[in-house]
Parts: sequence; structure tokens; C-alpha cells
Amino acid sequence: MPDEQKPEGSPAPSEGGGSEAQQAKPPAPATPKPVPPKPAAPPAPKPPAVMMATPWTAPLAEDLKARFGDAIKDTSTYVGQNFVVTTPEAAIPVMEYLKVEADFDYLVDVTAVDWPKRPERFDLVYILYSFARNERVRIKTYIKDGDKPKTAVGVHLTANWLEREVFDMFGIEFDGHPDLRRILMPDEWEGHPLRKDYSILKQDQRWVRENLAIESGQ
Amino acid sequence: MGSLLRKIFLVDLFQGLGVTFRNQNPKYICTEQYPAERPRIAERYRGAPRLNRNPENGETLCIACNLCALACPETLIVVTSERNEQTKRKDLTNFTYDTSRCMFCGLCEDACPVDALELTQDFEMASYTREGQVWDRQALEEGPRPKQYKC
Amino acid sequence: MPDSTFLDSTELVLNMGPQHPSTHGVLRVILKLDGEKVLGTDCVLGYLHRGVEKIAENRTYAQFNPYVDRMDYVAAISNGLGYCLAVEKLLNAEVPARAQAVRVILTELNRVASHLLWLGTHALDIGAITPLFYCMREREAALTIFEKYCGARLTTHAFRIGGLQYETYEGFEQECKDFCDMFLPKVDEYEELLTANRIWMARLQGVGVLSAEECKEYGVTGPVLRAAGEKWDLRKAQPYSGYEKYDFDIPTCQNGDTYDRYMIRMQEMRQAVRIIRQAVDALPAGPIMGKVGKVIKPPVGEAYVSIEAPKGELGYYIVSDGSTQPYRVRVRPPSFVNLQALDRMIRGGLVADVVAIIGTLDIVLGEVDR
Ligand code: SF4
Ligand code: SF4
Repeated sequence: MPDEQKPEGSPAPSEGGGSEAQQAKPPAPATPKPVPPKPAAPPAPKPPAVMMATPWTAPLAEDLKARFGDAIKDTSTYVGQNFVVTTPEAAIPVMEYLKVEADFDYLVDVTAVDWPKRPERFDLVYILYSFARNERVRIKTYIKDGDKPKTAVGVHLTANWLEREVFDMFGIEFDGHPDLRRILMPDEWEGHPLRKDYSILKQDQRWVRENLAIESGQ
Repeated sequence: MGSLLRKIFLVDLFQGLGVTFRNQNPKYICTEQYPAERPRIAERYRGAPRLNRNPENGETLCIACNLCALACPETLIVVTSERNEQTKRKDLTNFTYDTSRCMFCGLCEDACPVDALELTQDFEMASYTREGQVWDRQALEEGPRPKQYKC
Repeated sequence: MPDSTFLDSTELVLNMGPQHPSTHGVLRVILKLDGEKVLGTDCVLGYLHRGVEKIAENRTYAQFNPYVDRMDYVAAISNGLGYCLAVEKLLNAEVPARAQAVRVILTELNRVASHLLWLGTHALDIGAITPLFYCMREREAALTIFEKYCGARLTTHAFRIGGLQYETYEGFEQECKDFCDMFLPKVDEYEELLTANRIWMARLQGVGVLSAEECKEYGVTGPVLRAAGEKWDLRKAQPYSGYEKYDFDIPTCQNGDTYDRYMIRMQEMRQAVRIIRQAVDALPAGPIMGKVGKVIKPPVGEAYVSIEAPKGELGYYIVSDGSTQPYRVRVRPPSFVNLQALDRMIRGGLVADVVAIIGTLDIVLGEVDR
């Protein structure tokens, strides 16, 4: 399958071509098996297959770059929304710095995006908001499958459940999390549903059989 | 003294009853005698599906374009058609609609180019079996049965 | 004889829910008690998990729209608005002025309906049965408007990406105005029943206090945050859908307890009526659908858009890979995040307060579990 090169310093993951799009179709498993094209599926995409983000050059971005140097890989803005791409190690210090120095005192959300064909499989996204500045910023880092990013609970307590949900849905384990259990799925469930290789029809048959006493949940 | 008189003549009770009876005004009664009387349902209500026919000759309006099936998030509509050699158009053969999975969002209705598929004001779609929830062309054209429940 | 019996232990673990009427759905709370005192809680969620985010990845943008109604089902219109705004942001689509105004009217009506349901059930939890009937009566009027407008009362699917599917019906403006005229005296009526009621005050005042700092720490938004004194409302802070055109206040209180949250929501209903009146009076004519095309295919990119839902900040983070289906939709549910503060609010309180605090958070389990 094509597209695997991620240009250095590119603001966004560069996949998301037609093949990627087809892979997201309902019953298609993530194995690169030819998928019957659906009528709505786009043909091989014309140019911009990357996010057309522009550099973000507000004082805050400069400030971050000056402070963290190479750990800040990128500061961009897309549709008027600013985001910072950092190395996985720097995400928490950056968040802490933003909280203490720049009033970003409200962690809106922690989530992840799965890009199975990229070497760093997951985007970990932290959305921050500052009441004083009325401004949002997203912190993104790319992590590999099996990496254990540090938890943000020490900075924002709200990360507790949000990270549990990311763990539940993507199987990303957070290092130092006080209470890393599944939150939405049953505790004994196998698999992490929001991974792209977890088909929408898939389920933990064993769990369903044992706990619901039926053969299938469908 | 005044309060004693109030108590003797049960003034509070009558005041309370006054409120009660004021609210007995038929204007405020909103109980609907449901099976005997059809409830008032909004014109745009999205209820039981219907496949419209041409009132003049009874032919279906559906042109078997399959747009409704593509629009449906639950992909519960199956349209089968065969090509008519004379008119060079597709003729509808069967149309199934699984009401048990439908969420009455109205996307199929919006997608239909000829207003053949319509969500009507009928809401009585209960059935004793799962299979009974899957409506075929005949059920869709003639509407749910029985038409009216007796009480 | 066993060495120790359960009587020796001071701790008692009590399971509440998931079938408990006061947990507003299928929330299960495990309480650790010392007598009547709550030492700690653990919430067990997921009984209503339907995988909305997974479904989104397997539907087209337009097809996913009805599913968002099923998260916060008492404020389905707000959910739909947030989702449509997020996709419109990705598409960079303009929504016509008329569509925006109708959206505001319906969203505010929905806010009223949601707060009414909250008030009724919350009062019921505390032990006042009457407000429930009153609230349901008025909520019915709002739902009737929804039904007439789009054909459904609860899971409305009222908006489409780019604008509206349905033009307003004959007499829509008048009915909205009638609703406002009818409704304001009713709010006074509820307040008469509750605000100075001694039992109500005794049960709510000083219960479940959450300060503004704690709210921010826990990411708690909406009425809970405003009750703690933070004057923050996304409709003012980052206006969307034309909210900057309307004149309304953000009610705030100081104590951050359950009683204050009640006051805030009562005020919010009044403000919502104010917005509806202005929007109805200034309802512009014109098209109701913007130019988005039949097939919705946003360019590669990502956007986070949030709105002020009745429960707090409701956000949608959508990643598009340039196809007709979203690559990832993340819903930032206000109920889920607010519920996290439950433990902090309850600790040290009494068992009876648990019900009051769950009620005051105004959670909807459909949204917590998605
Ligand atoms: S109403 Fe919605 S769910 Fe039902 S058939 Fe039509 S498109 Fe499908
Ligand atoms: S969209 Fe209308 S005309 Fe086309 S197949 Fe469906 S019902 Fe028939």
C-alpha cells in the first residue's frame, strides 16, 4: 500500500489517502485486503492529502519554542485552531508550563487517534483552554503502540477518567496513572474497540457468552 | 377568632377545592382516549414508512433508484428491481424495510427524489415476531395492519 | 465464632444502582460508608455504552448525524447543533442567517426542556413530587414545538450539516412566543414551590460544594461552574451560530453548592426565554440550507468545536482524512467529565446527599457512556 512517508516537520499525519479511506469502511478489517469500492468511496485523492495547516506564530508559540527547543516539533494552526506537536516526553511538561505560566488551567479533553500504518501509531491529543485568555490550544504527540506516555493526572485531575477512557478504547497505558482500569467496557473485555483493526462487528465472544448467556450480541 | 371561624367554616378546604375545580376546565384536560380516539399527531411526524402509489392507476411511484438505501445509516432498506426491456427503466420488484432497526431519522425520506418513500403519522407498528417487523412492499404500500385498534 | 464480625468493621460498602431510580439511568455508584458518612465512591460506568464514536467511523458525515441525538437524549438538539457546527467548521461552510436563528430558537427551547426535566427529577429525588408534574406539563409544550417542526419529540435530528432540512411550519413564531409568555410565570411558580421551601433549602444548602478552582481542576463546566462564581459561558466566550447577536446575561452564584446550581438553572431558563424572544422577533427570511453539496467530504484536517449544552461544554473533535466518512469523531461529553467530580463533592457527606449531588450534576447516562 502506498503512502507511508511522513515528511519531516509536516504538520499532520500524511496518510489519509484513498487506501486509508477505504480501510475505514464498515466491515473491512485492517488487513490490507482489497475492499470492494463503495460508490461513495473517493478515488485516489487529488493533491492535498495532508492537512493544510499554516504555522502558528503567536508570542505564545514562540515562547514555547524558546523554552522547550527541539521538543516542540511544530506549532500550527488549522481553521483558526492552534496546536502544538511535541515529543511524547515533552507533552506533560508543556502542559504544566502552559498551566502555570500561561493560564491554560482547564484540560478540556484527552483523546487519541489511531493511524495503524504509521510507525508512531497513535496521536495523543490534549485540548487545553484558558479562561483568562479565552483561548484553546491542542497538544499533540505521536506515540508508538506499546509506548507508555506519562499521565497528566499530576497536572490536571480531570485527566483521570479521560485517560482511563483512552486506555479502554485504544489500549494506551499511561505511566503513573493512579487508577488505570477500563471505564466504559467491562473489566474483562478483550480488545480495544476504537483501534482501527477492531472491526465494528467484532466483539469479545467469550465475554458475551459467559456473562450474557447468549451466543452473540447481534 | 377569625382563624377559628375559618376553621369552623372550612374556608381553607373550599379554597383548595376552588383551585381543583378551576383546573377542571375542559380546556386543561389533556388526557387522550387513545385507542378509541386517535391522538393528535404533528403533520411532520416521522412514523411508519409508506411506499406511495400513484392515486390514479395504483402504480408505485418508486423508480427503484436505491437512493434511500444508500442514505440510510442502518442500511436496513433493500430495494430489488429488474430492468424492463420495453421502457428501458428499472421496475421495482420488492422493497423491504426493517422497522425494528429503523430510528426514524428521516434521511431516507429526504433522499427520495420522487417522494415515493414517506414516513407517515402512523405509529402502531408493534408485532408479535421479529419477522413481522420487516415490512415488504405490500405492507409498505398498504400500511400497517390492523389500521385501528379497538378498545 | 469468627474473630471479627461485620459489626466490628467501621466501613461498609454499599452498592447503589445501576437500577436505582435516583441515579438517573444506569449509573452504579459503589459507596464506602462509615455509618451514614461517605468515605469514598467509585462509579461504574458503561451500562449504556453503544460505541457512538466507533459507529461514527463507519458512517458518512450525514449518516452519523442522527446518532448524536442518542447521547444526551434530553437535549438532542444541542448535540445535533454541536456536531453540525463541527463538520461545518471542517468544511468551512457558511450557514444562512435564517438557519442560524432557527437553530438558536430550537436549541434554547431544548435547554429549557432539559432543565425542566432536571428540575422535575431532582425535586423528585429530594422528595417533592409536585414540581415533576408541573415541569412535565411545560416540557410537553416545548416538545410539541419540536414535533411540529421536525416530526420527532426526543431524538429530533432537527439540523443538517449546512443548515436545516425543514422550513419552519405555519405559526412557528407565534407558538414560540406563546410558549415564552406561558412559561415565564411558570418559572415563578416553581420558584414559589421550591426556592424558599424549608425542606428544599435544608437538603440543598451547603451540600456538594465545589469551588471554582476545583471545577477547573476537574474540568467541570456548565451550571456547576457558574454556580461556583465563574462567569463563563461558551455562548458568550466563543459565540457560535449567531449568539453574539442576542442580549442575555450569564447568571452566577457564589457558594457553589447544590442550592446555587438550582438557582442558576432557574435563571438560565429565564435567559433562554429571553434569547428565544429576541431570535423569534428578528427571525430573518432567506434560505435555510448553505452550500455544502450533496456529498459531504471535508478536506483533510481536524477541528474541535464545542458548544454550551445544557450540561456544560459539549465538544466534538473530528479528524477528517478527506473521505466521506469521518476518520475519528471524539465527543467531549459534559456529563462524563462532570460526573468525575462526584467523588470530591460527596466525600464527607451523608448517604442521603448522594442522591442530591447526583441530581444536581444533571447527568444523562446516555452521554456518560455514549
Ligand atoms: S428513517 Fe433513518 S434509519 Fe429508518 S430507514 Fe430511513 S434512513 Fe434508515
Ligand atoms: S429513493 Fe425513493 S424512488 Fe428511490 S428506491 Fe427509494 S423509495 Fe424508490
